[in-house]
Amino acid sequence: MLQSYLPILVFATLGILVGGAFVLLNGIIGPRKPNKVKIEPYECGLPSQVQRTFRFGVSFYMLAMLFILFDIEVVFLYPVGVLVSAAGSIFLLVEIIIFVVLLMTALVFVWARGALDWK
Amino acid sequence: MDTSWYLVLSALLFAVGFSGVLLRRSPLVILLCVELMLNAGNLALLAMSRSLGDQDGQVFALIVMVIAACEVVVGLGLIVAAYRRRMPLNVDDFRSLRG
Amino acid sequence: MTFTAPQIDYAGLSPIITLTAGVVIVLMVGLLPRAGRWTCSVLTLGVLGTAAGLAIWQWGEHTDLVAGTLRLDELGLAALLIALFAAAVTVILSVREPAAEGAGHGAFYALLLGSVLGMAILSMSQNLVSFFIGLELLSIPLYVLCGSAVRREASLEAGLKYLIIGSVGSATLLYGFALIYGTAGSTDYNEIAQGIRNGGLADDTLILIGTAMAATGLAFKISIAPFHQWTPDVYQGAPTPVTSFMAVATKTVAFIASIRLFELALGPVEASWDGALAVLAVISIAVGNIGALGQDSIKRLLGYSGIAQAGYILSGLVVFDEFGVEAIIFYLAAYALMNLAVFVPLVARERETPFADDIRSVEGLGGSRPLLAWPMTIGLLGLAGIPGTVGFMGKLFLIEAAVGGHFTWIGVAIVVGSMVSLAYYLRVIAAIWMRPEPAGAGAPAIAGASPEAPESNSAPGSTHGGDSSASRPGSTHGGDSSASRPGSTHGGDSSASRPGSPGGSRCWLIVGVGMLCAAATIFFGIDPSPLVDWAANAGQSFDPFAG
Repeated sequence: MLQSYLPILVFATLGILVGGAFVLLNGIIGPRKPNKVKIEPYECGLPSQVQRTFRFGVSFYMLAMLFILFDIEVVFLYPVGVLVSAAGSIFLLVEIIIFVVLLMTALVFVWARGALDWK
Repeated sequence: MDTSWYLVLSALLFAVGFSGVLLRRSPLVILLCVELMLNAGNLALLAMSRSLGDQDGQVFALIVMVIAACEVVVGLGLIVAAYRRRMPLNVDDFRSLRG
Repeated sequence: MTFTAPQIDYAGLSPIITLTAGVVIVLMVGLLPRAGRWTCSVLTLGVLGTAAGLAIWQWGEHTDLVAGTLRLDELGLAALLIALFAAAVTVILSVREPAAEGAGHGAFYALLLGSVLGMAILSMSQNLVSFFIGLELLSIPLYVLCGSAVRREASLEAGLKYLIIGSVGSATLLYGFALIYGTAGSTDYNEIAQGIRNGGLADDTLILIGTAMAATGLAFKISIAPFHQWTPDVYQGAPTPVTSFMAVATKTVAFIASIRLFELALGPVEASWDGALAVLAVISIAVGNIGALGQDSIKRLLGYSGIAQAGYILSGLVVFDEFGVEAIIFYLAAYALMNLAVFVPLVARERETPFADDIRSVEGLGGSRPLLAWPMTIGLLGLAGIPGTVGFMGKLFLIEAAVGGHFTWIGVAIVVGSMVSLAYYLRVIAAIWMRPEPAGAGAPAIAGASPEAPESNSAPGSTHGGDSSASRPGSTHGGDSSASRPGSTHGGDSSASRPGSPGGSRCWLIVGVGMLCAAATIFFGIDPSPLVDWAANAGQSFDPFAG
C-alpha cells in the first residue's frame, strides 16, 4: 500500500535536490554585477514605481480581454480530460481537433487584425 | 450538509448582484454585478447537481462559465471603446438615446 | 466501462454545421487583402442559402439530435427559415453600411452568421443547456453588432445598454433554469414534464419560482412590457440593418423557443403561468401602442410597435393549444415580411438624406421615390392590420386562437391595440404621401444636420455613384424586374431628380428586396392558404398537448 507512494517520494527528493543544487551553484559561481535596474523588485512588464496618475494603456486591456477568452475556453477540454475511458476514441480526438482549430481561427483573426501588437 | 443552505447562499448572491445592477452607476461595476448573478445561478446548479447525483448540472455550470466570460469580454470591449470616445462612464449619463 | 461514440445524425445537423463552417470561412476570407464588400456579402448569402436549402431538405424529418438536446421538426425549421430570410435581407442592406465598413466586412458578417447559428440552435433546442447556449450565441454577437458603429456614440450606448440588460435577463433565466433543473431532476424538456407529473410538483414553490424567473428572463429578450425599456433605445442606436435583423429574427426564434419551453417542459404547470403571461401580453399591447404615439424617430416608433406586436404574439402562447402555435408561426412569418418591407426603404433613405431615421427622412417619398414609398406604406398598413394584407390575416388567427382558448379579453385587447396603432402608422404614411419633400433631402452631404449625417454619408457619390453607373447599368434592372418595375421609371427618377445622388444608383437591390417583401405581404393577405398550410404543417409537428 505505502509502496505505491514511493515514486512520489523519489520525485519530490529529486526535485528538491536538483532545484537546490542549481540555486546553490548559481549563488557560488555566478558573476555579480548589480546595477540600479537589476536590484529593483521584479514586476512583469510594468515600471515598479507607479505614480498616482498612472493609467493602463488600451493595449493592456485588449490583451487582458483576449487572455480571459482563450483562458476560459480551455474549460471545454476539461470534461474530456476526465473521461479516461475515452482515451482510445477517434470520435473524441476529431471533436477536440475541431475545437482547437476553431480556437486557432480566432487566434489567427485576432493576430491579423493587429490586436496582439503592443502599442 | 443540507442543499438548501447552498440555495439560500446562491439566492443571496443573486439578490446582491441584482441590487448592484440597479444601484451602481459605473458600467464596470454593473458588469461585475451581472457576473455575480450568473455565478449565483452556477452555485445553484452545482448544489442541485450534487443533491440529485446527476452530472448534467456540472456540465451546464462549465458552459455558463464560458458564456459569462464572453459576456464580460464583450462588455469590457464596449466600455473601452466608449472610454476612447471620451464618453461619460456613468450609466445615468447615457442619454443620447431618448424620445 | 468503455466509451462509445454517440450516434450523430449529420443530415439533421447539416444546417448548423453549414452555419458554423460559414462563420469560420467568412471570418478568414474577410482577412484577405483583396476581399471587398461584395466578396464577403456574396459568400455570406451563399452560406445562408445553403443552410436554407438544407433546412428545406430536412423538412418533414422528426428526430432527436445530439442525444436529445436538439429536436429536428418543422417548428424549429420554420423559425430557422424565417431567421435565414431576415439575415439575407440584412446582408443585402449592410453592403454599404458604414458600420460594416468600419468593423471590416468579414467580421461584421461573421458576427451575423454567428447570431444566426445561435438562432438555429435555440429554435431546435429541447434541453435547458442547449437553450441557454443558443440564446447566448444569439445575443452576444448582437451586442457587438449593435455597438459596431463605433464612431457614433449612440451606437456604443445602444450596445452597452443591450449588453447590460440582456445579461441581466440571461442571469435571471439561468437562475430559473437552475431551480427547474433541481426540482424536476433533469435538463431535458420531456423528462422535466415527466418529473413534474410523476412527482406531483405542479404546485411546488421552487418550480413556480423557477418558471417565473425563466419567464422574466425571456420577457427581457423578447421585449415584453414591463421589461421593455431597452427596446426603443437599442433599436434607435443600432445600425439600421442590425435593427431590422434584431426586430425580426430574434423575436421569431425567441418565441418559437418559448413555445417549446413553456408548452413542452412546463406544460404540466400551465395553469400557473398562462394567466400571468396573458396579463403581460395586455400590458405590452397597451405600453407599446401608447409609447409609439409621439415618436418622431421611425426606428423608435418601430421599437414600440415591436413591443405591441410581441404582446399580440404572446396571446398565441397563453392559449396553450395547437391552434395557438399555428397562429404564432403564421404571425411571425407575416411580421417578418411586413417589418422588412418597412425597414428596407428606411435604410435607403437614411443614407440618402441627412435626417437619419427621423420622420422627415420619408416626407414626400411618395412623389420622389414611389418604389421606396410603396413597400413602406404596405408594410406599415400590414403592421396595423388593414384587410388585404397578411397582417390582417395574422391578427385574425391570433384573435380566433385567443377566443377559442377562452381568453376573449386578449382578443379585445388586440383589436383595441390595432385601432390605436393606426394613429401612428398612418402618421408616417401621411408624411410619405402628403407632405412635400423637405429642403435638403436630396443633398446628403450637409454636415451637422444630424449627428449621424457625416458617417452615414462618409462613402457618398464619389465611391459608389460612379461604380454602379458604369458596371451595372440597366442590365440587372431589366433582367429581373422588367415586368413589375420598369427600369425606365426608376432610372429616370433617380437620374432626373437627383443627378449623382448616392442612393439612386445602387437601389436596384434594395428596392428589389423591399418590393419583394411588400408583394409577399399583399399576396399572402389576399390568398393566405400557402402560408396557412406551411404554418399548420409546422405547428402539427409539435404536439405536447395530449398529456
